Amino acid sequence: MKKVVIPGEILFEERKRLGSNVFVSEGKIYSKVLGITDNENETATVVPLQGPYVPRRDDSVVGVITRENFAGYGVNINSFNECFIPKSAMRTPLTLGDVIIAKVSNVSELKEADLTFPKRMGDGEVISVNPVRSPRLIGKNGSMLDILSQGTDCEVFIGKNGRLWARNGDLELLKKTVKFIEENSYKSNLTNAVESLLRK
Amino acid sequence: MDRKIDYKKTKKRLDGRKMDETRPLSIKTGVIENADGSAYLEWGQNKIYAAVYGPREVLPKHTANPLKSVIKVEYRMTSFSVPQRKRPGPNRRDQEISKVLGEALSRAVFVEQFPNTEIGVYVEVVDANAGSRVACLTAASVALADAGMPMRDMVAATGVGKAYGELVIDLNKDEEDAPDAVDIPIAILPNSEEIVLLQMDGLLTRKEWDAVAKLGIKGCKQVYEVQKKALVNKFELSEAKGKGQATKTVKKKAVKKTVKKVKK
Repeated sequence: MKKVVIPGEILFEERKRLGSNVFVSEGKIYSKVLGITDNENETATVVPLQGPYVPRRDDSVVGVITRENFAGYGVNINSFNECFIPKSAMRTPLTLGDVIIAKVSNVSELKEADLTFPKRMGDGEVISVNPVRSPRLIGKNGSMLDILSQGTDCEVFIGKNGRLWARNGDLELLKKTVKFIEENSYKSNLTNAVESLLRK
Repeated sequence: MDRKIDYKKTKKRLDGRKMDETRPLSIKTGVIENADGSAYLEWGQNKIYAAVYGPREVLPKHTANPLKSVIKVEYRMTSFSVPQRKRPGPNRRDQEISKVLGEALSRAVFVEQFPNTEIGVYVEVVDANAGSRVACLTAASVALADAGMPMRDMVAATGVGKAYGELVIDLNKDEEDAPDAVDIPIAILPNSEEIVLLQMDGLLTRKEWDAVAKLGIKGCKQVYEVQKKALVNKFELSEAKGKGQATKTVKKKAVKKTVKKVKK
């Protein structure tokens, strides 16, 4: 059964395979964050409900250029460290405020991310969402993303860092739907609810 | 306050509470939209806002630690929070409380997960009536959990001590001003009962101390239950309803109501 747990709450008193956002102390498994757990699962895992974005290798992210120097650009990817891309990586020069998408190639022990394959995105809008809820915007095998882009006729790119880039189509409807998904991300039957919202 | 008051005779406290009863406590989360996590706490007459920002870049940079995150707490009292106007700037007491709160919270948060960063915790006392530091710690801990920080445990805190000849929990201002008053703010990590804050003002015998420590831990556990409720109640695990579905249920209810009216 699914249950909301708070940090430090005991999940299991017996041994179990460890998933994410849990820790072991004196043989008992505790939750590390405010989140949802399912005690019927084989692994002890907590899906967080809130939290900052911590970059991981192979994440696709939406970044904003915040700084430029002789060698390259500083990119804000909604993490606590600024990233850097060299000018040699870009074909055309970037300006401050430009939006790019990129992949995280490596993360250092200080959680500093290296970016590869940067691509400048043209005119469009960036929508901020809660980073821990962005997987729900993508859905299983991109199902929710398909519903979003088809229902609003928008070109949508969702970064793992809690930023969504979109253009064309009904942007107001997209924003409304994204907000709805964000607010209800932990509830069941979300896909059907979103479909009915878009059909209205 | 009258020196003739004796709790041993009255068996009840000045505000009608039992000796081991805390003042009414309520906590609400997510009250500040622009913060990463926030909480509003009302504990008796104490009213406190707590907001958490971060992890973010450390400023000034020389305070950064490459092995862990630094928790920077800013405790402030608004000028109108106490009967006599308080000068709005930070004073020695504010600095001390900020320091001890930061140290207590650092023990609970997995700070080593965010090296070279700071977590800013801002607590603002809007109304104060004794025990504001424990109230702030309780609120700050809820705000940190609300921000999704990885934590070992919540930090639950309460005040205990002695007033008018009896050991009491959660002293109010009148009791704090009693001639024999002893005030002990205590904060624990409820699972392990590890003490993360303990200060004392006054004198106690060894026997009294043993009793008061037990009373404090009992009080903290009561506070923990309220913290837990505040965090869990925000998220209701039900089915999501799109606009179409929601209106349908409303309509059904409306139909039922009209049917009842017609029957009457």
